[in-house]
Amino acid sequence: MSRRQPYEFAAPAPDAPIYWMDRPELDQQLQGTEPAEITDETATYSAEFPGGVAEFTDPVSRRGFLSLMGASIALGTLAGCRRPVDNILPYTRMPEGMNIGTATWYASVYERRGDALGLLVESHEGRPTKVEGNPGHAGSLGSTDLLTQASVLDLYDPDRSKNPTEGGQERSYTQFDEAYRALLEAQVATRGAGLRFLVRPSISPTFHRLKALLAQRLPEARVHTWSAGTTANTHLGSRLAFGMALNALPRYERARVIVSLDADFLQTEPGAVRSTRRYAEGRRVGEGRDPSRLYVVEPHLSLTGANADHRLRLPASAVEAYLRALASRRVAHHTLELGPVAEAVRNAAPPAGVSERWINVVAEELSRHRGNGVLVAGSRQPVGVHALVHALNAALGNHAAIDYFPAADQDLGDEAQDLRDLCRALEGGQVQALVILGGNPVYDAPADLQVAARIRQARVSVHLSMHRDETGAVCTWHAPACHYLEAWGDAQALDGTVSVQQPLIAPLFYSRSELELLAVAAGASTNRGHDLVRETASRSEPQGPAFERRWLRALNTGVLAPSLGPAPAPSLRAGDIAAHLRRPVPAAVTDSNLEVTFALDAKMYDGRHAANAWMLELPDPLTRISWDNCAYVSEATAHRLGVDNGDQLRLSKGERMLTAPVWIMPGQADNSVALFLGWGRATAGRVGTGRGFDVGPLRASDALWFTDGVRVEREGSRYRFSQTQENHRMEGRPVAIEATLAEYREHPNLAERLSPTPRTLPLWRQAAYPGNKWGMAIDLNACTGCGTCVVACQAENNIPVVGKEYVARGREMHWLRVDRYFVSPRPRGTDADPEATSDPRVAFQPLACVHCENAPCENVCPVAATVHSTEGINEMAYNRCIGTRYCANNCPYKVRRFNYLNYHNDGVYQPGHADTPETVRMQMNPNVTVRFRGVMEKCTYCIQRIQTHKIAAKREGRVHAVEGFAHDGQPGVAVELRDGELKTACQQACPADAVVFGDLNDHDSRVARVSREDRRYKLLGEVGTQPRTTYLARIRNPNPEMLG
Amino acid sequence: MSDGPITSIGEKHLVRPGATFREITDSISVVTETSAPRGWWIAFLTAATFLGILGAAVGWLFWKGVGVWGNNSPVGWAWDITNFVWWVGIGHAGTLISAVLFLFRQKWRTSINRFAEAMTIFAVICALLFPGIHVGRVWHAYYMFPLPNSMSLWPNFKSPLLWDIFAVGTYFTVSLLFWYVGLIPDLATLRDRCTTAAQGVRRYVYGLFALGWRGSNRHWSNYERAYMILAALSTPLVLSVHSVVSFDFATSVEPGWHTTIFPPYFVAGAVFSGFAMVMSLILVARVVYKLNDLVTMTHIELMNKIMLATGSLVGYAYAMEFFIAWYSGNPYERYVFVNRALGPYSWAYWTMISCNVISPQFFWFKRFRTNIPFSFVLSIFINIGMWFERFVIIVTSLHRDFVPASWGYFHPTAVDIATFMGSLGLFFTLFLLFIRWVPMIAIAELKGVLPQADPHHGEHHGKHDKHDKRDAPTEGGEPAPAATEGA
Repeated sequence: MSRRQPYEFAAPAPDAPIYWMDRPELDQQLQGTEPAEITDETATYSAEFPGGVAEFTDPVSRRGFLSLMGASIALGTLAGCRRPVDNILPYTRMPEGMNIGTATWYASVYERRGDALGLLVESHEGRPTKVEGNPGHAGSLGSTDLLTQASVLDLYDPDRSKNPTEGGQERSYTQFDEAYRALLEAQVATRGAGLRFLVRPSISPTFHRLKALLAQRLPEARVHTWSAGTTANTHLGSRLAFGMALNALPRYERARVIVSLDADFLQTEPGAVRSTRRYAEGRRVGEGRDPSRLYVVEPHLSLTGANADHRLRLPASAVEAYLRALASRRVAHHTLELGPVAEAVRNAAPPAGVSERWINVVAEELSRHRGNGVLVAGSRQPVGVHALVHALNAALGNHAAIDYFPAADQDLGDEAQDLRDLCRALEGGQVQALVILGGNPVYDAPADLQVAARIRQARVSVHLSMHRDETGAVCTWHAPACHYLEAWGDAQALDGTVSVQQPLIAPLFYSRSELELLAVAAGASTNRGHDLVRETASRSEPQGPAFERRWLRALNTGVLAPSLGPAPAPSLRAGDIAAHLRRPVPAAVTDSNLEVTFALDAKMYDGRHAANAWMLELPDPLTRISWDNCAYVSEATAHRLGVDNGDQLRLSKGERMLTAPVWIMPGQADNSVALFLGWGRATAGRVGTGRGFDVGPLRASDALWFTDGVRVEREGSRYRFSQTQENHRMEGRPVAIEATLAEYREHPNLAERLSPTPRTLPLWRQAAYPGNKWGMAIDLNACTGCGTCVVACQAENNIPVVGKEYVARGREMHWLRVDRYFVSPRPRGTDADPEATSDPRVAFQPLACVHCENAPCENVCPVAATVHSTEGINEMAYNRCIGTRYCANNCPYKVRRFNYLNYHNDGVYQPGHADTPETVRMQMNPNVTVRFRGVMEKCTYCIQRIQTHKIAAKREGRVHAVEGFAHDGQPGVAVELRDGELKTACQQACPADAVVFGDLNDHDSRVARVSREDRRYKLLGEVGTQPRTTYLARIRNPNPEMLG
Repeated sequence: MSDGPITSIGEKHLVRPGATFREITDSISVVTETSAPRGWWIAFLTAATFLGILGAAVGWLFWKGVGVWGNNSPVGWAWDITNFVWWVGIGHAGTLISAVLFLFRQKWRTSINRFAEAMTIFAVICALLFPGIHVGRVWHAYYMFPLPNSMSLWPNFKSPLLWDIFAVGTYFTVSLLFWYVGLIPDLATLRDRCTTAAQGVRRYVYGLFALGWRGSNRHWSNYERAYMILAALSTPLVLSVHSVVSFDFATSVEPGWHTTIFPPYFVAGAVFSGFAMVMSLILVARVVYKLNDLVTMTHIELMNKIMLATGSLVGYAYAMEFFIAWYSGNPYERYVFVNRALGPYSWAYWTMISCNVISPQFFWFKRFRTNIPFSFVLSIFINIGMWFERFVIIVTSLHRDFVPASWGYFHPTAVDIATFMGSLGLFFTLFLLFIRWVPMIAIAELKGVLPQADPHHGEHHGKHDKHDKRDAPTEGGEPAPAATEGA
């Protein structure tokens, strides 16, 4: 190739036209040139341009004009058929630090059942799109849980209330503010005697500061606390045991043996994210250390029970009897220092049907691991169980494995009693004004309190909530509340870490936060959220440059004040515990005395997420039912009641009654029916209204969590569930491979042997991946099956929600699913054994596209729409896909998802052919294509994240050249990523750290190291697909003495 | 009239003894020349109604997306591809009868070949409909064709679906040509029978399609050669089309699909279903148009024998699939076959076995082979059975494959049913139009199997033994009967 020659303008031809801009220029040019003979107009142009370049100089003819106009009109008409034009306008004043097209991240915090989860929230051009855990925050350690991942969609719920209402009539916020202030002013004279607040338990220091201010200003006003998911028993239990409310945070990573008494610490209990991370850490094998061993005693199969090495199904009311028996046995055999408590539990008999082994072996195990054991009680167990657990932990010296932190709210008492007091006051007509800050008591309060009728007895009632829900409908005033991403706030985690809740977006609608309304009542100096939170933060330190720095650092790192560390081992009040334990244990549950238990739902929580389409669509981790809850019964009980899956059941106790469809759940205690809160909302917007059934009508304030003496009978009609997984057995196939610790020690690579890769020689030269070679490893041993990764994937990749009807038709779009299998617990047992349905072992397996190197999908696509990248990613070219679905048919893993309909536009939000609501579209990740109907899609390994990090690495020069790319033999580049820099959405969200992603060519990367582990196997390796995502077999740690 | 040995199998007459050229021409041509009987109108309006249903179903499909069908994950293909393979299979008999039997000098084919070829073409049209409409983005379906484009992007030549396009497309083209070439002399006959001024349009149209056929010796000689070449071209296609269709499944990794037996098994099944469809149709036409003289018991019996043979081949393939699944030791493969017979789709499997394997066994007995109502009922059974065969292969393999958690079940929707019924409507609409306007039996060919067509028979038997007497119409310089008949 010759070097390019510099280009020179040819000298203008004498008769070349002259171009000019204005008359003086023309004159100037004409003077500079030869006095050309200007014969006509066309020649009067400048000589700036070379010959041959000429303006269109033909005069416009009449004919030309008409044809041009005709064409314009025709095109103009055509343009009228097009979609309306959307304009993208630039910022006139660019916000600092913003780079259009580049995501920015802000630290914030989210309250989850009394714990604070530090977050980093991704924002695109001012729209929060995705939340991630804040690695610097002890409550999240960089990961999140289901509800946190889904919380961003709540922000964009199109059915949020947008204006205050008074008696159902729309009002402006100014009108509301005036009315609210007037209502408070009227109370000043009586020092607030007629004023009541109903709030949810709060972990916000500002909230408690304002509450104290309120008590100063209006000492007679009372603040009542209620939440359906109350943790009062936990608080009261620790107060009974230690004299003060303490948060016990077990260090599951240290514990050798964990005994959970109806505590679902991996999902619904407070601090589940932290617990999951620690638990998964303690279950790691291969580092010269055995994994911990988990015993679970519980009525219904919870996520924690599903992960247990040994699980005992007992009615919830029998758990206390079991614990007393356990304590008594240890007192008898191991001379534990229980003091007066020992007297109280002496000779306690275990519940009927519990084998001696479950008492003796567990007692033995706890004694063997003194100091390294953890007993943990579930928040719905009565106070006595908590106190006895604290006593046993203390006696066993387990304080080394449990951290105790003072609870943020020492005043929190029995919430049911608190609400009962409020109702009584309302009934007595003592309440002139009731202010409900957050919460939905009409829906979630115990049925016997008849809260709706009581609220109507207040002269004026105010309800602040994101939705005009059941409570909003009965209150005089309803005011829209801010989402947590719209409002300032703060939160104290279980361990005392204080974080600032930093908003990412101005309120979408006219709304106020709970703090702001409380501040008005408390007469605070300001009622701006930001100032309120700052003021709380500056209590310990004067305003000034030092504070300013601390404040900015808190906004940046997400932590305002780190934890002060665990409290010293608290002293036990054994006498109080013993006195409490003299109370008799509840009556035994029998065939004729059925028990009903209530549990918080993993997806709906207490009902506040009922309008969240992601949560509704996500299959329950254990039943795999989406869009519904169900009543769990055991197989034996179902048989006795003569019901099958989907039969409606009528449950009644006294006046209270409800109808619920049955699900025969493996692992359910006999004679116990498990019901889940949060479903069956009457007003939860277009998506959530009427989904599932409300269990509230059966819940009473004196038996919040379980009650016996319930009449259960078959109702007669049937109900149709939608499940994303309809087969629950592994069919003896090596799919989710697991082994006991003993088996693993004997055959470390047994997983690879069960799922071998064929040894036949390839027929052609295999593709080389000399650059980056992306791969993933999923540790089934760490995975608890919670499903957070599925929602994270949905949020990251704009995955549409299809609705219950289409889930039933097998059209769900989740790129990533967590398969769940029930397996017989016996060694070498098959899944057809009866134990597989009564006392199953549960296996989980997250499964997305495994990015086969020999991908069966690729060669069957007739249009080459799915192809392999040079980095080994199986890519989808949506624009090329015509939707033959052949690739999905030929996928052995069945992970490809097809847009059978235009679910984005024709989905759950807008039946018919309307667009997705504007707000819901705001959640979309701009870096991921929104797929149209007729297109196949699947996991991309979050290729948008890969690209982002590759670009960043290239910009920083972290690249090196490599040769030998298979497709053209040309040298290419590989980027050098710092390990952990690039995380897929599922990996980042996983609280158990079960997903590892990275560059397999980087020998030292974590994914490469994990892939060399002996537990590793390739799913369906014998098909020869050479998947890039590989699995690490799960190792169970059963106690041989239990198998006996 | 001599009872000459013009039959090629046995000693049966292929046409009623004593039939003359004129009788044959008249009896076949008159169907297109007189007004249609009431029965035709009833059948046509029914078929057209179903064609309308097809239009509505496909319109709705295009408007909403593939989701109006019951397909799901894991069952990405269901009735759509079942219908496609079923129709392609039906399209097999035509070319087999026309080309293969022609090359083997099976003269008995002449009474049914036109019929069968028409059926082939219409069946392939129905078949081609489905790959076209089953894709998610129909407006981009042309991506499957190797059209030059600015992105230098070609279809994926490794994909069996692409092979399908070429195989079925080729088959359709050759079948159409073959049918049309065979039609030319007969179209000329119809043209020449238009003698009155009132028949001007008719004469013009038939004349246009007759391509100026005058029945000259030169015409006949070219015609015979062309026909022979097309027959030779079509013959491998009979084997290749359904082999290629079977590659859609055989080259995949899915247990139940990934089977080397598929190509011959599919071809046998295709011939089986094709003959069954020809039988169903011709038995009706025979009654309605009183063609007993032309479509004799000999034909029916011979076709029943072929169905017996291919039905047994298919039965053998079913058995062999089970054997190999067991013998291979592959647990996934084993499961799929056990699941077919005993799983949630066992009703479909046993419908298939009863219709395809058990029912043809009656044809071992001459009494059943020659019983017309029985043959008709059985042919319908076989049509049903062969539809279920494709359904069983496609749906039962997909619905439970490797990973048990992804298993599912397929329920058809009303649109699925409407699309299938509509494709029957399309087929019968085309077929009834064919019966109405085109000679449904090859007039010229049929004359060739009459004794009169071979006037030297008996006198010069010894001398002409090397000469193929069965090419009678052109032999001995005798004027070709077709073109001169009506002139």
